[in-house]
Amino acid sequence: MSALRIAGLSLRRLARDRAALFFMVALPVLVITVVGLTVRSFSTFPVGVVNGRSSAAAVELTAVLERWPSLEVHEYATSSAASTAVRRSEIAAAVVIPSSFGREIAASGHVEIEVVAERANSTQQAAATAVQAAVSQFSARVAAARFTTAQLGGDFAANLALATGLQGSVPQVRSTTVVADDSQQTLPAGFSYSAPTMLVLFVFINAVAGGATIISTRRLGMYERILAAPVGAGSVVLGEMLAAFAAALAQAALIVLVGAAAFGVSWGDPLAATLLVLVWSLVGAGAGVLAGTLFRTPQQAGALGPTIGIAFGMLGGCMWPLSIVSHAMRTVGHLTPQAWAVDAWTTLLARHGTLPDVTTKLGVLAAFAAGFLLLAAARFRRSLA
Amino acid sequence: MRPVLVIAAKDLKQRLRDRSAIVLALLAPLAVAALMSAAFGGAENVHATLAVANEDHGAVATGLLAALHAPELGRLVTVDEVRSASAATQAVRSGSADAGIVIPAGFSASVLTASPEALSTVTSVNDTVAAELASSVTQAFTARLNGDRLAVATALAAGAPASHVQALARDASGLELPVDVVQRALGARQLSTISYFAPAMAIFFVLFVVSFTSRSFFVEREQGMIERALAAPISARHVVAGKALSAFVLAATSLAVIGVVTGTAFGADWGDPLGAILVSLAMVLSVVALTALVIGVARTERQAETVSSIVVFCLALLGGNFVLVSVAPPLLRRLALFTPNGWALRGYTDLATTGGGVGTVVVPVLAILAFAAVVGVAGLLLARRAVRP
Repeated sequence: MSALRIAGLSLRRLARDRAALFFMVALPVLVITVVGLTVRSFSTFPVGVVNGRSSAAAVELTAVLERWPSLEVHEYATSSAASTAVRRSEIAAAVVIPSSFGREIAASGHVEIEVVAERANSTQQAAATAVQAAVSQFSARVAAARFTTAQLGGDFAANLALATGLQGSVPQVRSTTVVADDSQQTLPAGFSYSAPTMLVLFVFINAVAGGATIISTRRLGMYERILAAPVGAGSVVLGEMLAAFAAALAQAALIVLVGAAAFGVSWGDPLAATLLVLVWSLVGAGAGVLAGTLFRTPQQAGALGPTIGIAFGMLGGCMWPLSIVSHAMRTVGHLTPQAWAVDAWTTLLARHGTLPDVTTKLGVLAAFAAGFLLLAAARFRRSLA
Repeated sequence: MRPVLVIAAKDLKQRLRDRSAIVLALLAPLAVAALMSAAFGGAENVHATLAVANEDHGAVATGLLAALHAPELGRLVTVDEVRSASAATQAVRSGSADAGIVIPAGFSASVLTASPEALSTVTSVNDTVAAELASSVTQAFTARLNGDRLAVATALAAGAPASHVQALARDASGLELPVDVVQRALGARQLSTISYFAPAMAIFFVLFVVSFTSRSFFVEREQGMIERALAAPISARHVVAGKALSAFVLAATSLAVIGVVTGTAFGADWGDPLGAILVSLAMVLSVVALTALVIGVARTERQAETVSSIVVFCLALLGGNFVLVSVAPPLLRRLALFTPNGWALRGYTDLATTGGGVGTVVVPVLAILAFAAVVGVAGLLLARRAVRP
C-alpha cells in the first residue's frame, strides 16, 4: 500500500510540473505533426514547371507530368525562381517549357524543353529521368499529330487531340509491373511514420528526464523522512517504479490516442500493440529510475537525459529508418532498445503483423526492461540504505 | 564597463562548473552530428541496381539495354544482366538488385505485330525509387516504339482510308520524337544532409543558452545576489548587460566550436566562412534577445524553465531544425521564415549551395537582426522591471 501512496505522491508532483507537461503532452503532438507533414513518400520527386499555362499544349504537357506516378508538380512563375528552388532542394528538377511552346510543336522542327537538374546529383538525375519519360509520352502524340497533318492536312490541334485520345487504346508495347517483394521494411510515410517513432522517442526521453524527480525528492530529504515512518526501502523503490511506469504508460497512451483520433494512424493488431506499449513503458520506467540513481543533480538529468534519448533515438531508427544506414550502423543500432521497438512497430504497421511476428522483439524489449529495472532497483536500494 | 565584464565572467565561470551547460552547448550537438555523419555517409545518393533479364536477344532488346547504359544514367543505375525472369525476381527478392526489367522472349519480333509482348518491371516495396527509375527508363523507351503505331492510328482516325494502312505504316516507321529534353546543369553544390543538420543541431542546442541564462538569473535573484549587486555602484543596466554578454559568449563559443569540428571532422559544408560568421553572430544576438524576453516574462526559475523550453522547442520545430525544411510542405517553409533560426538555416543553405560570399546572406542576416531587435527591445523593457528590486 505504501508503495502506491509513494507512487501517487510522485505522480502528483509530476502533474504540477508545467515544463514536464509541455514535454509530455504538447511537444510530442507538435513534433508528430511537423515530422508527419514533412516525411512524404520517398517514391515521388517534386518538380517545378515554368510556363505550364502558357499555351494549350503546355497545359497538356503539364497534365502529363502531373499524372506521372513518380512526379509531384509545383508551378513556378520564372525560371530563376524554379532554379533557386532546385538549389535549395525544395524541388528535384525544374522543367522549363518554352513560352512559344504552342507554336513550336505545331511547326516542323525539334522543340527543346529545358530540365534544370544536376547530373552528379542522383536524386535530381532520377527526377530528370522521370521527366524524360513523361515528355517522351507527350512527344509521341506530337509526332503522331504532325504525321497526320502532313499526310492528310487538317488542323494540328485537332490531330493532337485525336492522338491524345488514342494513346491509351492503340495496341502498343506496354510495360507491366511485377511486385517481387511486398514485405515492407519501413513504416508507411506521413503520420504512420512519425507517430510510432515519436512514441518510442518521447516515452524514453521523458522517462529518463523524469529521473530528475527522484533526484530532487532525494535532495529534499523526502526519502529519509519517508523511511523514518514504518515504510521499507522496498516500498520506496517499488513506488517510484510504479510512478515512472504510470507516467510512461500515460505518455504512450496519449500518443496512441492522439495518433488514432487526430492523425488517422492505424496501430495494427490491438493485442500486439498493447503489449508493445506496455513493454516499452517498462523499458522507459526502468531507464528513468536508473537515471534517477545515476545522475547527481536534476540539471544533469535534464541535460543528459534528452541527449542520451536523442542519441539512442538516432541509433535506433526513430529519426530515420535504419534501412538507409550501413550494415554496421544497423548492428550498433540494435544495441539500443529503440531499434527493437521501432522494428516491432514496423512489423505491426507496415506488414500488418500479429503477436507471433513480434514475439522475439517483445522478448528482447522485456529483457531490456528487466535489466534496467533490476539494475535501477539495486542502485536505488543501496542509495536509500 | 568593468562591472559588466565582471558579471559576465562570473556567469561564464558558473556555466563551466555546471557540466549540464557543457553537455548541451558542446557535447550533445557534436554527438548528434557524429551520429548523423555516420548514418548518412554515403547513403545520400539515389542509386539503383537493376537486374535485367534479356530473354529476347533481339534488336529492340539491344536498344533498350543501350538506353539503360546511357551516360547520364551512369551514376544512377547499375545494370546487372541476369539469365531469366525468375532470376530477376529472385535478385529483387533477395535484395541483390533494387528492381528488375524483363524483356520477354520474342519481344523484338512482336513489336511490329498487332499484339506486342509487354516489358515487365520487377519491383520491391522497399525501393520505390528504383522501381520508378526502372519504369521511367522503360516507358521513355516504349514511347519511342509506340510513336509509329500511334501515328498510323491517328491518321486512320483522322480519315485516312483503311486501305492505306501499309503505306502509312511504312511512312511512319522510324518516326522521330520531336520534343527533346535538354538537361541544364545548375552549377550549384548539392546540399548534403550533414551540411543541413550540423548547423540545424548547433542552433537547436545554442537555443538552450536562453534556458541556462534566464534560469541562473532567477536563481541569483532568489539568493538576493541581484539586490546586493545593485547596492554596489552598479546599475540595473550593468546587470542586464553582463548577463547578455555571458549569453553572447556562451552561444558564440558553442556555435564556433561546432562549426569548426563538424566542418573539419564530419564533412559539413558551412559555406563561405565570413558569411557563416555573420549569420552565426546575428543568430547569437537573437539568443541574447530571447534570453532578455524570457527574463522579462517569467517570475521564477521554474517559470523561466517552462517558458524557455516552450520558446526553444517551438522555434526549433517551426524553423526546421528537426526536419529538412526544403522537403516540408510550402506552409511550413513559409512559417520557418518567421523564426530567426529558420532564416539562419536558409542562410547556411544558400552559402553551402551557391558557394557565394557575404552578399548571399544579406537578407537572412537582416531578417535575423530585425527579429533580435524587436524581441530584444521588448525583452529589455520587461527585464528592467525584473532587475529592479
